[in-house]
Amino acid sequence: MSSEVVVMKNVSKQFKVLNRHEGLKGSIRDLFSRDYKIIRAVEDVSLTVNKGEIIGYLGPNGAGKSTTIKMMTGVLEPTEGEILVSGRVPYQNRTANAENIGVVFGQRSQLWWNLPLIESFNLLRDIYLVPEKDYLDMLELYRSLVDLEPILHKPVRQMSLGQRTLSDILAAFLHNPGIVFLDEPTIGLDVSMKAKIRELIRGLNEVKETTVILTTHDMGDVDALCKRIIIIDKGRKIYDNDIEHLKSYFGSYRTLRMRLDDDSWVEQVIDEKKTDVMHVMQDMQKQHRIKDIQLQEISTEEVIRKIYEGEESA
Amino acid sequence: MTKIRKLWALTRAGIIESLQFRLGTAVMLFGNLIYLALVYFLWKAIYESSGTETVNGMTFYDTMIYLILATAIFNLLEMFIVWDMSRAIQSGEIIMHLLKPMPYRLYTFWSYSGAHVNNFFLAFLPTFIAVSLITKGAIPLGINLLWFMVSLILALIVNFNIEMLVAPICLYTESTWGINIVKETVVLLLSGATIPLAFFPEGLRQAVEYLPFRAVYDIPLTVLLCKNGTDTFAGLLPKLGIQLLWCVVLSVCGNLFWNHAVKKITVNGG
Repeated sequence: MSSEVVVMKNVSKQFKVLNRHEGLKGSIRDLFSRDYKIIRAVEDVSLTVNKGEIIGYLGPNGAGKSTTIKMMTGVLEPTEGEILVSGRVPYQNRTANAENIGVVFGQRSQLWWNLPLIESFNLLRDIYLVPEKDYLDMLELYRSLVDLEPILHKPVRQMSLGQRTLSDILAAFLHNPGIVFLDEPTIGLDVSMKAKIRELIRGLNEVKETTVILTTHDMGDVDALCKRIIIIDKGRKIYDNDIEHLKSYFGSYRTLRMRLDDDSWVEQVIDEKKTDVMHVMQDMQKQHRIKDIQLQEISTEEVIRKIYEGEESA
Repeated sequence: MTKIRKLWALTRAGIIESLQFRLGTAVMLFGNLIYLALVYFLWKAIYESSGTETVNGMTFYDTMIYLILATAIFNLLEMFIVWDMSRAIQSGEIIMHLLKPMPYRLYTFWSYSGAHVNNFFLAFLPTFIAVSLITKGAIPLGINLLWFMVSLILALIVNFNIEMLVAPICLYTESTWGINIVKETVVLLLSGATIPLAFFPEGLRQAVEYLPFRAVYDIPLTVLLCKNGTDTFAGLLPKLGIQLLWCVVLSVCGNLFWNHAVKKITVNGG
Protein backbone atom coordinates (compact mmCIF):
# COMPACT_ATOMS: atom_id res chain seq x y z
CA MET A 1 0.00 0.00 0.00
CA SER A 2 1.52 3.28 -1.07
CA SER A 3 1.38 6.35 1.07
CA GLU A 4 -0.75 8.16 -1.50
CA VAL A 5 -4.25 8.32 -0.13
CA VAL A 6 -5.82 10.47 -2.81
CA VAL A 7 -4.71 10.71 -6.40
CA MET A 8 -6.50 13.01 -8.84
CA LYS A 9 -5.40 13.17 -12.47
CA ASN A 10 -6.66 15.92 -14.76
CA VAL A 11 -10.07 15.93 -13.15
CA SER A 12 -12.80 18.15 -14.57
CA LYS A 13 -16.42 18.49 -13.61
CA GLN A 14 -19.09 20.22 -15.64
CA PHE A 15 -22.69 20.85 -14.76
CA LYS A 16 -25.46 21.39 -17.23
CA VAL A 17 -27.79 24.13 -16.03
CA LEU A 18 -30.96 25.44 -17.60
CA ASN A 19 -30.66 29.07 -18.63
CA ARG A 20 -33.42 30.69 -16.59
CA HIS A 21 -35.26 33.72 -17.88
CA GLU A 22 -36.77 36.47 -15.83
CA GLY A 23 -40.40 37.22 -15.17
CA LEU A 24 -43.59 35.31 -15.82
CA LYS A 25 -43.03 35.12 -19.55
CA GLY A 26 -39.52 33.92 -19.04
CA SER A 27 -40.64 31.26 -16.58
CA ILE A 28 -43.18 29.92 -19.07
CA ARG A 29 -40.55 29.92 -21.76
CA ASP A 30 -38.26 27.95 -19.43
CA LEU A 31 -40.84 25.17 -19.31
CA PHE A 32 -40.07 24.32 -22.91
CA SER A 33 -36.54 25.61 -23.03
CA ARG A 34 -33.67 23.42 -24.10
CA ASP A 35 -31.32 26.29 -23.57
CA TYR A 36 -28.67 24.80 -21.32
CA LYS A 37 -25.39 26.30 -20.36
CA ILE A 38 -22.38 24.38 -19.19
CA ILE A 39 -20.81 25.39 -15.91
CA ARG A 40 -17.23 24.30 -15.45
CA ALA A 41 -16.95 23.83 -11.71
CA VAL A 42 -13.58 22.09 -11.70
CA GLU A 43 -11.09 22.14 -14.55
CA ASP A 44 -8.10 19.92 -15.03
CA VAL A 45 -7.12 19.54 -11.38
CA SER A 46 -4.38 17.07 -10.51
CA LEU A 47 -3.17 16.46 -7.01
CA THR A 48 -1.96 13.79 -4.64
CA VAL A 49 -2.44 13.63 -0.92
CA ASN A 50 -0.23 11.49 1.28
CA LYS A 51 -1.11 9.57 4.37
CA GLY A 52 -1.29 11.58 7.56
CA GLU A 53 -1.28 15.00 5.91
CA ILE A 54 -3.61 17.82 6.81
CA ILE A 55 -4.31 19.70 3.60
CA GLY A 56 -5.85 23.14 3.58
CA TYR A 57 -8.00 23.25 0.50
CA LEU A 58 -8.70 26.91 -0.13
CA GLY A 59 -10.37 29.12 -2.66
CA PRO A 60 -12.93 31.90 -2.88
CA ASN A 61 -16.63 31.10 -2.71
CA GLY A 62 -17.72 29.15 -5.76
CA ALA A 63 -14.18 28.16 -6.70
CA GLY A 64 -15.04 24.46 -6.87
CA LYS A 65 -13.85 23.29 -3.46
CA SER A 66 -16.99 21.46 -2.43
CA THR A 67 -17.36 19.97 -5.89
CA THR A 68 -13.86 18.51 -5.63
CA ILE A 69 -14.59 17.07 -2.21
CA LYS A 70 -17.87 15.59 -3.38
CA MET A 71 -16.01 13.90 -6.21
CA MET A 72 -13.51 12.44 -3.76
CA THR A 73 -16.32 11.09 -1.59
CA GLY A 74 -18.04 9.54 -4.59
CA VAL A 75 -21.32 11.48 -4.59
CA LEU A 76 -20.30 13.30 -7.74
CA GLU A 77 -18.91 11.68 -10.83
CA PRO A 78 -16.11 13.54 -12.59
CA THR A 79 -16.81 14.51 -16.19
CA GLU A 80 -13.19 13.84 -17.11
CA GLY A 81 -10.10 12.53 -15.41
CA GLU A 82 -9.35 9.92 -12.80
CA ILE A 83 -9.71 9.88 -9.06
CA LEU A 84 -8.44 7.20 -6.72
CA VAL A 85 -9.12 7.30 -3.00
CA SER A 86 -7.22 4.58 -1.14
CA GLY A 87 -6.90 2.77 -4.43
CA ARG A 88 -10.62 2.86 -5.21
CA VAL A 89 -12.60 4.81 -7.76
CA PRO A 90 -15.01 6.59 -5.41
CA TYR A 91 -18.11 7.00 -7.56
CA GLN A 92 -17.96 3.42 -8.77
CA ASN A 93 -17.64 2.01 -5.25
CA ARG A 94 -19.46 4.62 -3.26
CA THR A 95 -20.52 2.28 -0.48
CA ALA A 96 -17.12 0.62 -0.13
CA ASN A 97 -15.45 4.01 -0.25
CA ALA A 98 -17.82 5.30 2.43
CA GLU A 99 -16.44 2.76 4.90
CA ASN A 100 -13.02 4.31 4.63
CA ILE A 101 -13.86 8.00 4.76
CA GLY A 102 -15.40 10.38 7.23
CA VAL A 103 -17.18 13.59 6.25
CA VAL A 104 -18.33 16.77 7.93
CA PHE A 105 -20.17 19.08 5.57
CA GLY A 106 -20.56 22.56 7.03
CA GLN A 107 -23.91 22.90 8.69
CA ARG A 108 -25.18 19.47 7.71
CA SER A 109 -25.25 16.80 10.33
CA GLN A 110 -24.97 13.07 9.99
CA LEU A 111 -26.17 12.59 13.55
CA TRP A 112 -29.63 11.40 14.47
CA TRP A 113 -31.42 14.58 15.40
CA ASN A 114 -33.66 13.18 18.11
CA LEU A 115 -31.23 10.78 19.73
CA PRO A 116 -28.68 11.46 22.46
CA LEU A 117 -25.17 11.64 21.02
CA ILE A 118 -24.14 8.33 22.55
CA GLU A 119 -26.96 6.58 20.68
CA SER A 120 -25.76 8.09 17.42
CA PHE A 121 -22.27 6.84 18.23
CA ASN A 122 -23.57 3.35 19.00
CA LEU A 123 -25.50 3.36 15.77
CA LEU A 124 -22.46 4.44 13.76
CA ARG A 125 -20.41 1.77 15.52
CA ASP A 126 -22.90 -0.84 14.31
CA ILE A 127 -23.36 0.33 10.75
CA TYR A 128 -19.62 0.73 10.24
CA LEU A 129 -19.06 -2.59 12.03
CA VAL A 130 -16.46 -1.15 14.41
CA PRO A 131 -15.13 -3.80 16.82
CA GLU A 132 -16.18 -3.11 20.40
CA LYS A 133 -12.61 -2.72 21.65
CA ASP A 134 -11.66 -0.18 18.96
CA TYR A 135 -14.84 1.68 19.70
CA LEU A 136 -14.14 1.95 23.43
CA ASP A 137 -10.53 2.96 22.73
CA MET A 138 -11.76 5.67 20.42
CA LEU A 139 -14.18 7.01 23.05
CA GLU A 140 -11.31 6.97 25.52
CA LEU A 141 -9.21 9.00 23.09
CA TYR A 142 -12.08 11.43 22.62
CA ARG A 143 -12.33 11.88 26.37
CA SER A 144 -8.65 12.74 26.53
CA LEU A 145 -9.07 15.40 23.83
CA VAL A 146 -12.41 17.02 24.66
CA ASP A 147 -14.82 17.21 27.53
CA LEU A 148 -17.30 14.61 26.34
CA GLU A 149 -19.58 14.24 29.35
CA PRO A 150 -21.77 17.35 28.91
CA ILE A 151 -22.73 16.40 25.36
CA LEU A 152 -22.75 12.62 25.39
CA HIS A 153 -26.27 12.21 26.72
CA LYS A 154 -27.76 15.25 25.09
CA PRO A 155 -30.08 14.93 22.08
CA VAL A 156 -28.46 16.52 19.07
CA ARG A 157 -31.35 18.91 18.47
CA GLN A 158 -30.73 20.52 21.87
CA MET A 159 -27.04 21.17 21.20
CA SER A 160 -25.47 24.50 20.40
CA LEU A 161 -23.91 24.86 16.96
CA GLY A 162 -20.45 24.44 18.47
CA GLN A 163 -21.37 21.27 20.33
CA ARG A 164 -23.00 19.87 17.23
CA THR A 165 -19.98 20.56 15.05
CA LEU A 166 -17.75 18.99 17.65
CA SER A 167 -20.04 15.97 17.77
CA ASP A 168 -20.09 15.71 14.00
CA ILE A 169 -16.32 15.74 13.83
CA LEU A 170 -16.14 13.03 16.47
CA ALA A 171 -18.70 11.03 14.51
CA ALA A 172 -16.67 11.38 11.32
CA PHE A 173 -13.57 9.92 13.00
CA LEU A 174 -15.41 7.21 14.94
CA HIS A 175 -14.80 4.32 12.55
CA ASN A 176 -11.17 5.34 12.22
CA PRO A 177 -11.31 6.15 8.51
CA GLY A 178 -8.15 6.61 6.49
CA ILE A 179 -9.26 10.01 5.33
CA VAL A 180 -11.62 12.65 6.69
CA PHE A 181 -13.11 15.52 4.69
CA LEU A 182 -13.97 18.61 6.68
CA ASP A 183 -15.88 21.18 4.67
CA GLU A 184 -15.82 24.45 6.59
CA PRO A 185 -15.98 22.87 10.02
CA THR A 186 -15.47 26.08 11.98
CA ILE A 187 -18.07 28.17 10.16
CA GLY A 188 -20.13 30.25 12.56
CA LEU A 189 -18.28 29.23 15.72
CA ASP A 190 -16.90 31.44 18.47
CA VAL A 191 -13.15 31.76 19.00
CA SER A 192 -12.89 29.38 21.93
CA MET A 193 -14.89 26.70 20.14
CA LYS A 194 -12.74 27.17 17.04
CA ALA A 195 -9.65 26.64 19.14
CA LYS A 196 -11.13 23.50 20.68
CA ILE A 197 -12.03 22.09 17.32
CA ARG A 198 -8.60 22.80 15.88
CA GLU A 199 -6.99 21.06 18.83
CA LEU A 200 -9.28 18.11 18.37
CA ILE A 201 -8.53 17.78 14.67
CA ARG A 202 -4.79 18.03 15.26
CA GLY A 203 -4.96 15.52 18.10
CA LEU A 204 -6.88 12.97 16.07
CA ASN A 205 -4.61 13.46 13.08
CA GLU A 206 -1.53 12.87 15.23
CA VAL A 207 -2.75 9.83 17.12
CA LYS A 208 -4.61 8.06 14.32
CA GLU A 209 -2.53 9.32 11.39
CA THR A 210 -5.76 10.21 9.66
CA THR A 211 -5.41 12.20 6.48
CA VAL A 212 -7.49 15.36 6.69
CA ILE A 213 -8.66 17.51 3.82
CA LEU A 214 -9.97 20.76 5.16
CA THR A 215 -11.75 23.53 3.35
CA THR A 216 -12.17 26.76 5.20
CA HIS A 217 -12.32 30.51 4.85
CA ASP A 218 -10.75 30.98 8.24
CA MET A 219 -6.99 31.46 7.95
CA GLY A 220 -6.72 30.73 11.65
CA ASP A 221 -7.66 27.13 10.82
CA VAL A 222 -5.00 27.01 8.14
CA ASP A 223 -2.27 28.49 10.32
CA ALA A 224 -3.12 26.18 13.19
CA LEU A 225 -3.47 22.94 11.24
CA CYS A 226 -2.06 22.84 7.73
CA LYS A 227 1.50 22.40 6.57
CA ARG A 228 0.47 22.25 2.97
CA ILE A 229 -2.19 24.18 1.18
CA ILE A 230 -3.86 23.88 -2.16
CA ILE A 231 -5.65 26.87 -3.61
CA ILE A 232 -8.12 26.68 -6.43
CA ASP A 233 -9.92 29.46 -8.18
CA LYS A 234 -12.48 29.29 -10.96
CA GLY A 235 -12.05 25.54 -10.92
CA ARG A 236 -8.30 25.59 -11.56
CA LYS A 237 -5.52 24.78 -9.17
CA ILE A 238 -3.35 27.85 -8.70
CA TYR A 239 -1.18 26.87 -5.75
CA ASP A 240 -0.07 23.62 -4.19
CA ASN A 241 2.81 23.80 -1.75
CA ASP A 242 3.92 24.39 1.83
CA ILE A 243 2.37 27.20 3.73
CA GLU A 244 5.86 28.75 4.24
CA HIS A 245 6.38 28.98 0.50
CA LEU A 246 3.12 30.76 0.06
CA LYS A 247 4.41 34.04 1.44
CA SER A 248 7.42 34.19 -0.83
CA TYR A 249 5.80 32.54 -3.82
CA PHE A 250 3.57 35.44 -4.62
CA GLY A 251 6.22 38.07 -4.03
CA SER A 252 7.79 38.71 -0.68
CA TYR A 253 5.24 40.82 1.03
CA ARG A 254 5.59 42.66 4.26
CA THR A 255 3.33 44.99 6.09
CA LEU A 256 4.68 48.40 7.03
CA ARG A 257 2.80 50.19 9.81
CA MET A 258 3.51 53.86 10.47
CA ARG A 259 2.28 56.09 13.26
CA LEU A 260 1.71 59.62 12.06
CA ASP A 261 1.43 63.00 13.71
CA ASP A 262 -2.14 62.52 14.76
CA ASP A 263 -1.26 59.19 16.40
CA SER A 264 -3.15 57.21 13.76
CA TRP A 265 -1.58 54.06 12.30
CA VAL A 266 -1.29 53.73 8.54
CA GLU A 267 -0.82 50.28 7.05
CA GLN A 268 0.67 49.39 3.75
CA VAL A 269 1.40 46.00 2.26
CA ILE A 270 4.65 46.11 0.37
CA ASP A 271 5.77 43.78 -2.37
CA GLU A 272 9.51 43.82 -1.95
CA LYS A 273 10.06 42.64 -5.48
CA LYS A 274 8.60 45.83 -6.86
CA THR A 275 9.61 48.40 -4.32
CA ASP A 276 11.23 48.44 -0.92
CA VAL A 277 10.37 49.64 2.53
CA MET A 278 12.72 52.61 2.44
CA HIS A 279 11.11 53.96 -0.69
CA VAL A 280 7.66 53.86 0.78
CA MET A 281 8.84 55.52 3.95
CA GLN A 282 10.58 58.27 2.06
CA ASP A 283 7.45 58.97 0.04
CA MET A 284 5.43 59.06 3.23
CA GLN A 285 7.86 61.34 5.00
CA LYS A 286 7.46 64.00 2.33
CA GLN A 287 3.87 64.47 3.44
CA HIS A 288 3.77 63.48 7.10
CA ARG A 289 5.95 63.28 10.12
CA ILE A 290 6.41 59.65 11.12
CA LYS A 291 6.54 59.10 14.86
CA ASP A 292 6.92 55.35 14.91
CA ILE A 293 7.23 52.42 12.53
CA GLN A 294 6.60 48.69 12.67
CA LEU A 295 7.50 46.07 10.13
CA GLN A 296 5.45 42.87 10.10
CA GLU A 297 5.49 39.65 8.18
CA ILE A 298 2.36 39.45 6.11
CA SER A 299 -0.34 37.17 7.54
CA THR A 300 -1.63 34.19 5.63
CA GLU A 301 -4.95 35.91 5.44
CA GLU A 302 -3.48 38.87 3.58
CA VAL A 303 -1.58 36.67 1.16
CA ILE A 304 -4.68 34.68 0.39
CA ARG A 305 -6.67 37.84 -0.09
CA LYS A 306 -4.05 39.12 -2.47
CA ILE A 307 -4.20 35.90 -4.41
CA TYR A 308 -8.00 35.87 -4.63
CA GLU A 309 -8.14 39.51 -5.61
CA GLY A 310 -5.24 39.16 -8.01
CA GLU A 311 -6.97 36.33 -9.78
CA GLU A 312 -10.11 38.39 -10.06
CA SER A 313 -8.42 41.31 -11.79
CA ALA A 314 -6.22 39.10 -13.97
CA MET B 1 -24.43 -12.02 11.02
CA THR B 2 -22.56 -8.76 10.63
CA LYS B 3 -25.20 -7.57 8.24
CA ILE B 4 -27.91 -8.20 10.81
CA ARG B 5 -26.00 -6.05 13.29
CA LYS B 6 -26.14 -3.11 10.87
CA LEU B 7 -29.83 -3.56 10.16
CA TRP B 8 -30.91 -4.12 13.73
CA ALA B 9 -29.00 -1.00 14.79
CA LEU B 10 -31.13 1.04 12.40
CA THR B 11 -34.36 -0.59 13.56
CA ARG B 12 -33.45 0.02 17.18
CA ALA B 13 -32.65 3.67 16.57
CA GLY B 14 -35.94 4.04 14.70
CA ILE B 15 -37.86 2.59 17.66
CA ILE B 16 -36.16 4.92 20.13
CA GLU B 17 -36.64 7.87 17.82
CA SER B 18 -40.34 7.33 17.18
CA LEU B 19 -41.02 6.58 20.83
CA GLN B 20 -40.13 10.21 21.47
CA PHE B 21 -43.27 11.26 19.69
CA ARG B 22 -45.88 9.82 22.05
CA LEU B 23 -48.15 12.74 21.43
CA GLY B 24 -47.96 12.11 17.71
CA THR B 25 -49.23 8.58 18.19
CA ALA B 26 -52.09 9.82 20.37
CA VAL B 27 -53.08 12.41 17.78
CA MET B 28 -52.95 9.77 15.07
CA LEU B 29 -55.28 7.48 17.03
CA PHE B 30 -57.67 10.36 17.62
CA GLY B 31 -57.63 11.26 13.95
CA ASN B 32 -58.49 7.66 13.16
CA LEU B 33 -61.53 7.78 15.40
CA ILE B 34 -62.88 10.73 13.44
CA TYR B 35 -62.15 9.05 10.14
CA LEU B 36 -63.78 5.82 11.31
CA ALA B 37 -66.89 7.68 12.48
CA LEU B 38 -67.17 9.10 8.99
CA VAL B 39 -66.72 5.66 7.45
CA TYR B 40 -69.31 4.21 9.81
CA PHE B 41 -72.06 6.69 8.91
CA LEU B 42 -71.24 6.61 5.23
CA TRP B 43 -71.50 2.85 4.94
CA LYS B 44 -74.52 2.72 7.23
CA ALA B 45 -76.28 5.00 4.78
CA ILE B 46 -75.17 2.86 1.86
CA TYR B 47 -76.47 -0.31 3.47
CA GLU B 48 -79.75 1.26 4.52
CA SER B 49 -80.43 2.58 1.05
CA SER B 50 -79.68 -0.79 -0.52
CA GLY B 51 -82.44 -2.46 1.46
CA THR B 52 -80.63 -5.78 1.77
CA GLU B 53 -78.49 -7.29 4.50
CA THR B 54 -75.55 -8.04 2.25
CA VAL B 55 -74.12 -5.97 -0.55
CA ASN B 56 -71.69 -7.67 -2.90
CA GLY B 57 -71.44 -10.58 -0.50
CA MET B 58 -70.44 -8.45 2.48
CA THR B 59 -72.62 -7.55 5.44
CA PHE B 60 -72.37 -4.13 7.04
CA TYR B 61 -70.47 -5.82 9.82
CA ASP B 62 -67.96 -7.38 7.40
CA THR B 63 -67.42 -4.07 5.67
CA MET B 64 -66.80 -2.21 8.89
CA ILE B 65 -64.32 -4.77 10.22
CA TYR B 66 -62.53 -4.71 6.89
CA LEU B 67 -62.29 -0.92 6.75
CA ILE B 68 -61.26 -0.47 10.38
CA LEU B 69 -58.47 -2.98 9.99
CA ALA B 70 -57.49 -1.39 6.68
CA THR B 71 -57.09 1.92 8.51
CA ALA B 72 -55.00 0.22 11.16
CA ILE B 73 -52.76 -1.27 8.49
CA PHE B 74 -52.57 2.10 6.79
CA ASN B 75 -51.18 3.61 10.01
CA LEU B 76 -48.75 0.78 10.29
CA LEU B 77 -47.45 0.99 6.73
CA GLU B 78 -47.48 4.72 6.24
CA MET B 79 -44.12 5.99 5.03
CA PHE B 80 -43.06 9.45 4.02
CA ILE B 81 -40.31 8.51 1.64
CA VAL B 82 -41.60 10.80 -1.11
CA TRP B 83 -41.53 13.78 1.24
CA ASP B 84 -38.35 12.86 3.00
CA MET B 85 -36.47 12.19 -0.18
CA SER B 86 -37.51 15.40 -1.90
CA ARG B 87 -36.64 17.42 1.18
CA ALA B 88 -33.29 15.66 1.45
CA ILE B 89 -32.58 16.39 -2.20
CA GLN B 90 -33.56 20.04 -1.97
CA SER B 91 -31.51 20.64 1.15
CA GLY B 92 -28.57 18.58 -0.05
CA GLU B 93 -28.94 16.34 2.98
CA ILE B 94 -29.17 13.37 0.61
CA ILE B 95 -25.37 13.41 0.40
CA MET B 96 -25.13 12.29 3.99
CA HIS B 97 -27.44 9.35 3.23
CA LEU B 98 -25.50 8.43 0.12
CA LEU B 99 -22.31 8.35 2.16
CA LYS B 100 -23.52 5.73 4.60
CA PRO B 101 -21.62 2.47 4.31
CA MET B 102 -24.60 0.61 2.92
CA PRO B 103 -26.75 0.90 -0.21
CA TYR B 104 -29.22 3.76 -0.03
CA ARG B 105 -32.36 1.66 -0.53
CA LEU B 106 -31.36 -0.79 2.17
CA TYR B 107 -30.47 2.04 4.51
CA THR B 108 -33.79 3.78 3.92
CA PHE B 109 -35.86 0.65 4.41
CA TRP B 110 -34.24 -0.23 7.71
CA SER B 111 -34.29 3.34 8.94
CA TYR B 112 -38.07 3.20 8.66
CA SER B 113 -38.40 -0.24 10.19
CA GLY B 114 -38.28 1.02 13.77
CA ALA B 115 -41.28 3.24 13.15
CA HIS B 116 -43.13 0.24 11.70
CA VAL B 117 -42.42 -1.82 14.81
CA ASN B 118 -43.74 1.00 16.98
CA ASN B 119 -46.82 1.51 14.86
CA PHE B 120 -47.53 -2.19 15.02
CA PHE B 121 -47.66 -2.18 18.80
CA LEU B 122 -49.10 1.28 19.36
CA ALA B 123 -51.57 1.63 16.50
CA PHE B 124 -52.32 -1.69 14.90
CA LEU B 125 -52.45 -4.05 17.85
CA PRO B 126 -54.78 -1.96 20.04
CA THR B 127 -57.17 -1.51 17.10
CA PHE B 128 -57.05 -5.19 16.31
CA ILE B 129 -57.74 -6.21 19.91
CA ALA B 130 -60.56 -3.70 20.21
CA VAL B 131 -62.18 -4.89 16.98
CA SER B 132 -61.95 -8.55 17.92
CA LEU B 133 -63.37 -7.90 21.40
CA ILE B 134 -66.26 -5.80 20.14
CA THR B 135 -67.18 -8.14 17.32
CA LYS B 136 -66.83 -11.20 19.57
CA GLY B 137 -65.16 -13.66 17.28
CA ALA B 138 -65.77 -12.18 13.84
CA ILE B 139 -62.03 -12.39 13.33
CA PRO B 140 -60.87 -16.00 13.47
CA LEU B 141 -57.98 -16.38 15.90
CA GLY B 142 -55.79 -19.24 14.77
CA ILE B 143 -53.01 -20.07 12.38
CA ASN B 144 -54.32 -17.30 10.13
CA LEU B 145 -52.67 -14.77 12.46
CA LEU B 146 -49.28 -16.22 11.62
CA TRP B 147 -49.99 -16.12 7.90
CA PHE B 148 -51.27 -12.60 8.31
CA MET B 149 -47.94 -11.54 9.80
CA VAL B 150 -46.12 -13.06 6.83
CA SER B 151 -48.50 -11.34 4.47
CA LEU B 152 -48.14 -8.07 6.35
CA ILE B 153 -44.37 -8.09 6.04
CA LEU B 154 -44.67 -8.78 2.32
CA ALA B 155 -47.18 -5.92 2.12
CA LEU B 156 -44.68 -3.69 3.86
CA ILE B 157 -42.01 -4.52 1.31
CA VAL B 158 -44.38 -3.98 -1.62
CA ASN B 159 -45.47 -0.65 -0.15
CA PHE B 160 -41.85 0.42 0.39
CA ASN B 161 -41.04 -0.42 -3.19
CA ILE B 162 -44.01 1.55 -4.51
CA GLU B 163 -42.78 4.54 -2.49
CA MET B 164 -39.25 4.10 -3.76
CA LEU B 165 -40.54 3.92 -7.32
CA VAL B 166 -42.46 7.17 -6.95
CA ALA B 167 -40.07 9.20 -4.80
CA PRO B 168 -37.23 9.64 -7.34
CA ILE B 169 -39.73 11.15 -9.79
CA CYS B 170 -39.38 14.38 -7.84
CA LEU B 171 -35.78 14.52 -9.06
CA TYR B 172 -37.11 14.96 -12.57
CA THR B 173 -40.14 17.15 -11.91
CA GLU B 174 -38.95 19.25 -8.96
CA SER B 175 -42.47 19.09 -7.54
CA THR B 176 -43.44 16.75 -4.77
CA TRP B 177 -46.89 17.61 -3.56
CA GLY B 178 -48.83 16.55 -6.63
CA ILE B 179 -46.89 13.36 -7.08
CA ASN B 180 -47.46 12.38 -3.49
CA ILE B 181 -51.20 13.02 -3.69
CA VAL B 182 -51.53 10.97 -6.87
CA LYS B 183 -49.56 8.11 -5.35
CA GLU B 184 -51.57 8.20 -2.11
CA THR B 185 -54.91 8.23 -3.89
CA VAL B 186 -54.03 5.53 -6.36
CA VAL B 187 -52.63 3.22 -3.69
CA LEU B 188 -55.49 3.71 -1.25
CA LEU B 189 -58.20 3.29 -3.88
CA LEU B 190 -56.79 0.45 -5.94
CA SER B 191 -55.53 -1.49 -2.94
CA GLY B 192 -58.99 -1.70 -1.42
CA ALA B 193 -58.08 0.39 1.61
CA THR B 194 -60.91 2.92 1.22
CA ILE B 195 -63.48 0.75 -0.57
CA PRO B 196 -63.35 -3.06 -0.33
CA LEU B 197 -62.45 -4.52 -3.72
CA ALA B 198 -65.71 -6.54 -3.68
CA PHE B 199 -67.58 -3.29 -4.33
CA PHE B 200 -65.64 -2.44 -7.47
CA PRO B 201 -67.38 -2.78 -10.82
CA GLU B 202 -66.47 -6.08 -12.45
CA GLY B 203 -64.12 -4.65 -15.08
CA LEU B 204 -62.12 -2.58 -12.62
CA ARG B 205 -62.01 -5.46 -10.16
CA GLN B 206 -60.48 -7.66 -12.85
CA ALA B 207 -57.94 -5.00 -13.70
CA VAL B 208 -56.95 -4.49 -10.07
CA GLU B 209 -56.20 -8.21 -9.83
CA TYR B 210 -53.22 -7.62 -12.08
CA LEU B 211 -51.90 -4.55 -10.25
CA PRO B 212 -49.53 -4.55 -7.27
CA PHE B 213 -51.70 -2.38 -5.02
CA ARG B 214 -53.96 -5.11 -3.69
CA ALA B 215 -50.85 -6.82 -2.32
CA VAL B 216 -50.63 -3.96 0.19
CA TYR B 217 -54.10 -3.99 1.81
CA ASP B 218 -56.50 -6.45 0.24
CA ILE B 219 -54.39 -9.59 0.50
CA PRO B 220 -53.27 -9.21 4.15
CA LEU B 221 -56.86 -8.42 5.17
CA THR B 222 -58.27 -11.34 3.22
CA VAL B 223 -55.75 -13.63 4.90
CA LEU B 224 -56.53 -12.23 8.32
CA LEU B 225 -60.28 -12.60 7.90
CA CYS B 226 -59.94 -16.02 6.24
CA LYS B 227 -61.93 -14.91 3.21
CA ASN B 228 -61.84 -16.29 -0.32
CA GLY B 229 -60.61 -19.71 0.74
CA THR B 230 -57.44 -18.46 2.41
CA ASP B 231 -58.14 -20.77 5.34
CA THR B 232 -56.74 -23.59 3.23
CA PHE B 233 -53.23 -23.94 1.92
CA ALA B 234 -54.52 -24.17 -1.62
CA GLY B 235 -56.23 -20.81 -1.23
CA LEU B 236 -53.49 -19.16 0.81
CA LEU B 237 -50.37 -19.93 -1.18
CA PRO B 238 -51.38 -18.20 -4.42
CA LYS B 239 -52.11 -15.02 -2.46
CA LEU B 240 -48.75 -15.01 -0.73
CA GLY B 241 -47.19 -15.97 -4.04
CA ILE B 242 -48.67 -12.90 -5.70
CA GLN B 243 -47.26 -10.71 -2.94
CA LEU B 244 -43.86 -12.30 -3.23
CA LEU B 245 -43.91 -11.87 -6.98
CA TRP B 246 -44.68 -8.16 -6.65
CA CYS B 247 -41.93 -7.80 -4.03
CA VAL B 248 -39.42 -9.16 -6.51
CA VAL B 249 -40.73 -7.32 -9.57
CA LEU B 250 -41.00 -3.96 -7.82
CA SER B 251 -37.62 -4.34 -6.10
CA VAL B 252 -35.94 -4.95 -9.41
CA CYS B 253 -37.74 -2.03 -11.10
CA GLY B 254 -37.16 0.21 -8.10
CA ASN B 255 -33.49 -0.62 -8.07
CA LEU B 256 -33.08 0.12 -11.75
CA PHE B 257 -35.00 3.37 -11.48
CA TRP B 258 -33.10 4.47 -8.40
CA ASN B 259 -29.76 3.74 -10.02
CA HIS B 260 -30.83 5.86 -12.94
CA ALA B 261 -32.12 8.64 -10.69
CA VAL B 262 -29.04 8.70 -8.49
CA LYS B 263 -26.99 9.33 -11.63
CA LYS B 264 -28.86 12.58 -11.92
CA ILE B 265 -27.52 13.55 -8.52
CA THR B 266 -24.00 12.31 -9.13
CA VAL B 267 -23.75 13.70 -12.65
CA ASN B 268 -25.55 16.98 -12.24
CA GLY B 269 -25.40 17.62 -8.52
CA GLY B 270 -29.19 17.31 -8.07
